[in-house]
Amino acid sequence: MPNQPNRKSEEIRRVNRVIHTRTFVLMLVMSVGVFVLLFTKLYELQILRHEELQTQALDQQTRSTEVTASRGTIYDRGGNILSISATAETVFLSPLELAEELELAQKGEKEIKWTRELLAQKLAEILQISEESIYQKMERTYSQYEVLKLRAEEAVANQVREFLNEYEVRGVYLVTDAKRYYPYGTLASHIVGFVGDENTGLYGLEARYEQELEGQTGLVITARDNAGNDMLYAYEKYYDAENGHDLVLTLDTTVQYYLEKNLEEIVHRYDVANGGVGIVLNVNTGAILGMASYPNYDLNSASTIRDSKLSAAVENGSASLAEMQLKQWRNKALNDTYEPGSTFKILTLAAALEEGVVNENSTFYCSGSTTVMGQSISCSGHHRGQTLIETVGNSCNPAFISYGLGLGTEKFYDYMEAFGLMGGSGVDLDGEATGIFIDESIFTELDLACYSFGQNFNITPIALIAAQAACVNGGYLYEPYVVEQIVGDDGTVLYQHDNTPVRQVISEETSAMVRECLEYVVAEGTGSNAQVTGYRIGGKTGTADKGKTGDVVVSFACVAPVDDPEVMVLIALDTPSRNTGTNPSGGAMAAPAAGAILAEILPYLGIDPTYSADELMGAETTVPYVTDMSVSEAINRLENKGFSYKIVGDGDTVTDQTPAGGVVIPGKSTVILYAGEEKPDTLCSVPALVGKTPAEANIAATNAGLLLRFSGATGATGGTIRVLTQSESVGAQVPAGTVITAQLGDIAVTD
Amino acid sequence: MYEDYTVNEVRDQKRRETERKSREAAKGPMDLPFLLLVLLLTGIGLVMLFSASFPSAYYETGDATHYVKRQALWAAMGLVGMLVVGKLNYQRFRGAAQPLLGVALFLLILVIIPGVGITINNATRWLGIEGVLTFQPSEIAKLAVIVYFADSISKKKEKMQDFRAGVLPYAIILLVFAILMMLEPHLSGTILIAGIGVMMMVVGGMRRWLVAAGFGGVGIAAWGYVKLVELEIISYGAGRINMWKNPWLDPLETGYQMVQSLISIGSGGLLGVGFGKSRQKFLFLPEEHNDFIFAIICEELGLVGACIIMLVFMLMIFRGFWIALHARDRFGTLLVVGAMTQISLQTFLNIAVVTGLIPATGISLPFFSYGGTALMLQLVEMGIVLSVSRQIPAPRNA
Repeated sequence: MPNQPNRKSEEIRRVNRVIHTRTFVLMLVMSVGVFVLLFTKLYELQILRHEELQTQALDQQTRSTEVTASRGTIYDRGGNILSISATAETVFLSPLELAEELELAQKGEKEIKWTRELLAQKLAEILQISEESIYQKMERTYSQYEVLKLRAEEAVANQVREFLNEYEVRGVYLVTDAKRYYPYGTLASHIVGFVGDENTGLYGLEARYEQELEGQTGLVITARDNAGNDMLYAYEKYYDAENGHDLVLTLDTTVQYYLEKNLEEIVHRYDVANGGVGIVLNVNTGAILGMASYPNYDLNSASTIRDSKLSAAVENGSASLAEMQLKQWRNKALNDTYEPGSTFKILTLAAALEEGVVNENSTFYCSGSTTVMGQSISCSGHHRGQTLIETVGNSCNPAFISYGLGLGTEKFYDYMEAFGLMGGSGVDLDGEATGIFIDESIFTELDLACYSFGQNFNITPIALIAAQAACVNGGYLYEPYVVEQIVGDDGTVLYQHDNTPVRQVISEETSAMVRECLEYVVAEGTGSNAQVTGYRIGGKTGTADKGKTGDVVVSFACVAPVDDPEVMVLIALDTPSRNTGTNPSGGAMAAPAAGAILAEILPYLGIDPTYSADELMGAETTVPYVTDMSVSEAINRLENKGFSYKIVGDGDTVTDQTPAGGVVIPGKSTVILYAGEEKPDTLCSVPALVGKTPAEANIAATNAGLLLRFSGATGATGGTIRVLTQSESVGAQVPAGTVITAQLGDIAVTD
Repeated sequence: MYEDYTVNEVRDQKRRETERKSREAAKGPMDLPFLLLVLLLTGIGLVMLFSASFPSAYYETGDATHYVKRQALWAAMGLVGMLVVGKLNYQRFRGAAQPLLGVALFLLILVIIPGVGITINNATRWLGIEGVLTFQPSEIAKLAVIVYFADSISKKKEKMQDFRAGVLPYAIILLVFAILMMLEPHLSGTILIAGIGVMMMVVGGMRRWLVAAGFGGVGIAAWGYVKLVELEIISYGAGRINMWKNPWLDPLETGYQMVQSLISIGSGGLLGVGFGKSRQKFLFLPEEHNDFIFAIICEELGLVGACIIMLVFMLMIFRGFWIALHARDRFGTLLVVGAMTQISLQTFLNIAVVTGLIPATGISLPFFSYGGTALMLQLVEMGIVLSVSRQIPAPRNA
């Protein structure tokens, strides 16, 4: 018994001990253990994953509103706008909402003023889209966003708005957007390029300078609650939109216009199969004043095929639309290469002169063909004995083969490299193709012979003209370029083109000699069609065979003024028709166009004509104002200026005159004086002059009561001179005495 | 008879002696550290509730103080209740054990009778008048389990080692409660009550191998379940498990709550966005003033602030268990163990859910989450702990 309380207290003690121990363990687990566990988890979330989760938090807690940056403008060198962004509005409909509205109306829960039919009809009318397409989009009732018209113009958008307000339509909306406008349409389309639906550049400068032009989209960030309300007191942050930079080009819209006009004209006149290309280059800087490629397109609707030949191909199924689009978007001046033919002789000549292979006193006898490595190469003519300058003027192949062989393969190759033909011109435009040449290790004398007159290798027109410019400008090779400056939104110049030449390839003296030869080509040789009265022009023709098909690429490169070079023009036509009556040669087809371009751009560029005495005789004179003078005084004035006269009526005072005072007409023309008699106000019909000889044209014009003035190859003589163009179209009704300008050219020139 | 009389007399004397001692012991002071920690938590809880709840209070009722005013009122009543209960002699709670269990059972049955209970979000857990005064019978059940288990286990002594006496009756009570609560349904409440009950049984002296087997079994079952869901063998509850593992699988629907909670916590970083400056509480994080208030705390006060609050919890739990260890008798110890297990388990589960440590289930954070009756009952339970603390015998050598 005495043990019992002891045993009992022993048992109690053991029970209590268990309870104590276990409570103690529980205490440690529930306080320290749990705390450590939770701390690790919190550490992971708040420290290790802090940034990731904070980003998510900010994403949902803030509303960012985009502030669109305005895309930069592209200017020509005179500040004319080639590409600019303007506000436009995209019209879209929400088929879902329209369906809801119609349903409500059907149930009679809401009154609506419009019907599906009215909506489709009205919108189709305003937006110039088909009703069918609107119905199709309205069918997609699962959708809330179906674009009806991307970037409609302001006026159209206003019409839509008016309609929507009038009929209280819910479900058709307008959102502001920016649209790219190209005020000059087709002008310089290949250089400017265009943007896609997202307003990002796809082609041309728009693509190449995307980063500079696009600017930085701005943001306004405001705190918001989950119900979408702004919480302005919380915080607001602004990131300003940075407008895109502007591009100032070397391009001149006036030069570009004349270049394109003439190029397109000859492409059509000579029915050119594969289009043409033209470049106007400032030889002293490499600045591209004009660059045209045909077929071209309207930048405001880049996808539309502009050239009738291409669109015909799409219509008759011989080519896909996409193929033809790619074709019209190609800039032939640099995306494509061609065999230059004889215009390349400028480079051979320069290298041969520089290396002393030939000099101004050299002579060469042409037997009509020459043989290199057992291969006979024929010449376009049988030129017999020639001086150096005559070999250029005749474009004599055997002569140039001998110059090339005189240089040797190694030196010739070195010069091609020095002229920058191997690496490309480095022009600041996208997609410049590299030339195709035989590798130097297998470059034989036969290859060299062909290379000497510009055959059997391919280069881009831009690389060629850059090298030709180096031959005439004193020997300096410049990288051709179109972007003169990049200007920030605030007017600061961010980039200015550096005009340092890449290298001097030939000496000033060699260059002067080359110019002398080239002037002879235009004055006396194959380039006579490029003559421009009052200007000294140097040039070189080229007709390159395209394989043995008989197809050719005709081209003409010229420089003016040849005594103090400013601009160089290169014109090339790929595969002109052989059936137009004009010999498919550079001299007959390309040179007149180059001459016409020079005639129009040289005065514009501020290069004044200088007339020789001969030219002055035939130069044009301004008709003096003689109306209201006495007949005798009028006669006196006209005779002083070298005009002849004809008096109609028997009064003492001149009552009227034809042509009127101030008009420029050829000297020695006849001025009609009316003394008392009424000037007949009948209109004359312009006769067809194109294709006629100068004499025939003169007779036709005089018979029609019109005055004629010639331009182009006015100094050339021979039976193959014809009128190439006339300033007034056939059948046009013009007042009597109107001066018609007719461009002359030799249609039978062989390079 | 005489002898009997004497025996009775002696017994009476003994009983009177015990009661006298008990009354004297009950006159001791309340444990001041514990009391202060509870007051501190209640205070911080109210302040944080105000911060977390004002946006939704404003959006829903137009009065930014809508929730905090009500919670403060309940806290005041709870504190009064705590002090009153603290003043009581806890020995008297023994008598309340069985009636309390009966009342809890009755209310748990009442709430699932269709038309009687209040249903919110497909769960019928509340009794009372909606919008005026509601409470969860499961809160009463927790209290009942604590008091009844403490009373019963403290009397069993070594019999706790016996399966039929030490495990079976309690298991049956817990099972009945669990079944009734799962009918509401109320998973988190069930887990809590089971957790409290089991812990008290463990502390009370359940056989060691049973404890080991029990915990091992639950652990393996939970692990196995997650694995089976991962291997796509079981689909029941798969959504909950998958959302727990990666709530970003469905951040706008099923994973929304969890994603928003993690975003809130994560965006707080080390020092937080500043008191009152949470942005997630502006209608982004649902339940921001209830079960997910800790996420807002983490966002506003950062890791540092969250740790300080967890530290206060830790100290309070530590002090609570200290009281349990020094309690005058087993009943006192078990009462405190029950109450402290509830608070600590609930705190742990809540923060674990909010931080994505365990799959989501609706457990509120003691002293912080909005819910008046729950807060009041928690404070009353703290009153029980304080009551026990008053009878801690003074150290002998002092």
